[in-house]
Amino acid sequence: MIIGMTDHEDDHEVVTVADLRKSYGGRVVVDGLSFGVGAGEVVGLIGANGAGKTTTVECIQGLRRPDSGTVRVLGLDPTRDAERLRALMGSQLQDSALPDRLRVGEAIELFATARAQPADELLAQFGLAARRRSAFGSLSGGERQRLFLVLALLNRPRLVILDELTQGLDPSARRGVWAAIDQLRAAGTTVLLVTHELDEAEALCNRVIAMRAGRVLDAGTPAELVARHAPWVRIAFTRPGNDGGLLDALRALPGAFEATRAGDQVEAVGERRLIAHVGAELVRRGSIPADLRVEVADLESALLALLDDGHAGVPTPATPVPTPTTSLIGATR
Amino acid sequence: MTTTTLISPAPGPVGAAPVGAAPVGAAPVGAAPPRRARSATARLVRAELRLMVRDPLTLTFVLAFPVITMLIIGGSFGTRPDESFSDTNPARWYVASYLTVVIAATGLVMLPVHLAAYRERGVLRRLAAAGFARHSFVLAQLVIGLASIVLAGAALLVVAAPVYGVPSLHSGGRVAAALVAGSVLFVSIGILLGTVLPSARSAQAVGLLLFFPSFLLGAGGPPPHVMGTVARSIAKPLPLTLVTKSVRDPWLGIGTPTSQLLTVVGLAVLALVFAIRRARL
Repeated sequence: MIIGMTDHEDDHEVVTVADLRKSYGGRVVVDGLSFGVGAGEVVGLIGANGAGKTTTVECIQGLRRPDSGTVRVLGLDPTRDAERLRALMGSQLQDSALPDRLRVGEAIELFATARAQPADELLAQFGLAARRRSAFGSLSGGERQRLFLVLALLNRPRLVILDELTQGLDPSARRGVWAAIDQLRAAGTTVLLVTHELDEAEALCNRVIAMRAGRVLDAGTPAELVARHAPWVRIAFTRPGNDGGLLDALRALPGAFEATRAGDQVEAVGERRLIAHVGAELVRRGSIPADLRVEVADLESALLALLDDGHAGVPTPATPVPTPTTSLIGATR
Repeated sequence: MTTTTLISPAPGPVGAAPVGAAPVGAAPVGAAPPRRARSATARLVRAELRLMVRDPLTLTFVLAFPVITMLIIGGSFGTRPDESFSDTNPARWYVASYLTVVIAATGLVMLPVHLAAYRERGVLRRLAAAGFARHSFVLAQLVIGLASIVLAGAALLVVAAPVYGVPSLHSGGRVAAALVAGSVLFVSIGILLGTVLPSARSAQAVGLLLFFPSFLLGAGGPPPHVMGTVARSIAKPLPLTLVTKSVRDPWLGIGTPTSQLLTVVGLAVLALVFAIRRARL
């Protein structure tokens, strides 16, 4: 059983990485990494800069030869069977380009194999239909990213590897790309996503693998990681003046870590169940604040906790609560 | 941005396809039947030729340097047959010789810089990740290199004809064989250099460092008869010297250097095999 895989996924493995090691000039970048990606999964590799994510996917793509360990992709060895395998993979790479004077339509012709799907639909879907005759050098950063995505999907790949998928895209283009990945998932295509954008990982991935220093820190669904490493909420509202012992009442609620007041602002922090208890307490007091806000920890909070040696995962009354980055109830999966 | 179009699913994904998913690999209703795809080599050649036409400045050195230097050097020794030039017209000696300067300029300068710039920008990485095989890439670059040589060689002869005249061929078969083998040899060297060196700047430095001594000693400089002993012994085994002698001597009818021609052919085969096996994408 490989870390990061569930039991049933062993049967339909698309990517298997076992004890992968890779160094550059004595600097260890990937250090005994093991994980798997099941068929039809969208799996995200997340972690800080230098965690070894890109090197790992380059080994999976056969662009780098591992120092040791095993990598199997669709049952093939990415180094030995590189050419066969790459025909089955679609890759969107970090830091790559096309010749400046190559036009979008010509890039499609260049990269289209016998497996290629009609490019017009893909170009339209990614907002590039009108740019068919534009030279690569004249495209904006976002258009280039979208073109790379089109090229990655063009030949109906079985496995799509996306490194920094939405880097440089505006919010609208980002959402469009996310929708496309959702469609890939619905069509049963396996996707391995490398990203620093944790909202992206949270929105797209069935499972995420958190890495640090070339190792797996933890893996699971985004909701599982949040539950394990950032299982807290912050409830805030305005309550002026004398509150009749409200702070003490909030502190005594099940799951509460802390309740504080700053002027008229009241804040309670605790486990998720605290949301219900605070609501009940406010209803019992017959005064529901108009500005009641609930902030739920998200994947970013979980990753920050993980990267902080696992010590900042669960805030208690004695430890400061990390600032949450999401302010919508149910934003975490 | 519309998101209503369904991306075609991967044909035969590992594991079960979701219930209700479109038939794997099925073309969308109403879509034109898939065209037969060109080979990877053909697609690369087509793209590179388009880029070459669109950006002819990449050919500047290969086109301009041999022509300009041929005009200067070819006129420096007159047109009377001279002992130092194996009793041939020196101007025509240089016209025949400078065809191989085109070959060396393509292989040692143009291709390395062009391909190293591709590496630097991540174009080669993208081609590798897309599954372009190394041999497809090398063969495509070979075609591009040979096309450049044909173009620049023709330009050289067109310029030379009204000025110095183009010498008549004494042994066309041998000349053609030497030109082809020499071109394959230098283009293969250029592909290797371009895919191994890390940047366009380093490729330019290394390429020029290899080109100019080869040019001066092996093709465009003084004839071997007037070189000093040391210079001649250094020049003799240089690949460009071998190619030039294999082209020039049968062209002008001053010799049939079979051993040099066979060496060039052997080196060309070796260099091409080595490029196919070792070129890095």
